[in-house]
Amino acid sequence: MIKKFIHQFASPKTYLFQVTRAYPYIFVTSILIYIISIFWGLFLTPEDFVQGNSYRIIYLHVPASFISQALYGGMAIASAIFLIWKVKLSAYLVKSIAPIGAMTTFIALISGSIWGIPTWGTWWAWDARIVSTLILFIMYLGLISLHDSFANYEKADKFLAVLVLVGSVNIPIIKMSVEWWSTLHQSASITISDKPTIDPSMLYPLFGSMIGFTGIVVCLVILSSKLHIFVREKNKSWIKDYV
Amino acid sequence: MSKFAFNSISEAFTMQSLNGQNHGFYVWSVLAIVFFTLLITFLVYKYKLKKISKKIK
Repeated sequence: MIKKFIHQFASPKTYLFQVTRAYPYIFVTSILIYIISIFWGLFLTPEDFVQGNSYRIIYLHVPASFISQALYGGMAIASAIFLIWKVKLSAYLVKSIAPIGAMTTFIALISGSIWGIPTWGTWWAWDARIVSTLILFIMYLGLISLHDSFANYEKADKFLAVLVLVGSVNIPIIKMSVEWWSTLHQSASITISDKPTIDPSMLYPLFGSMIGFTGIVVCLVILSSKLHIFVREKNKSWIKDYV
Repeated sequence: MSKFAFNSISEAFTMQSLNGQNHGFYVWSVLAIVFFTLLITFLVYKYKLKKISKKIK
């Protein structure tokens, strides 16, 4: 039964119909959660003793930063599925996630730079966390242009999947950079193993903004994958029925 | 979630910190960048989907 479900959902047609049905619910819920959390974080949480009010950027920077890495992780998983089981939808998803990943990494870099001015006194430092995030941004751009440079989609999919897997080595580097090297960037305030070092009054809206932003990004991935499926399957009869 | 961190709209706008620095410019700039980046991305995809749907039809 599970195999049947996976097999069914792995078809672009089923995927398209399912995500189109889920899209409005995810969109409305995540927008609401995001707006409430941002409002909470910007206006209701107390000022930080060390960073002052500039710390409120955390509610915009951290979700983007977290998602930019999570999306790459998602691309790596989809690439592996494509290479092992030749699931066409996985290849479509890899290509669809890349521009959204580039967009979220852009937000993470820009918001981090602006936050750096009042906090560190500089908008840029050749710090391990910042440089590895910049590499992630360049990788996203490289993967997009690489896929677009191929005339043959099948070859492009394979090449992209292999490169995504090779590039996934950067994700643990980004994550651990603040532990392995002495960096200007602060170490993680929220970890799975330890108690968060942030006060609960500041932590709850942060969780909310992360959930809301994740939902918004999922909606963008749905739109991007829909577009890619339209491009790749445009000659199929079911696409004409769907449109 | 208890009371407002600022006493007035102008205070919320400037976001003056305990050290006397105004951080409003940084916070509002980031908010604007995030908002417009997301909005533009949504609009671009909606437009592209509309365009390709017309072609397929």
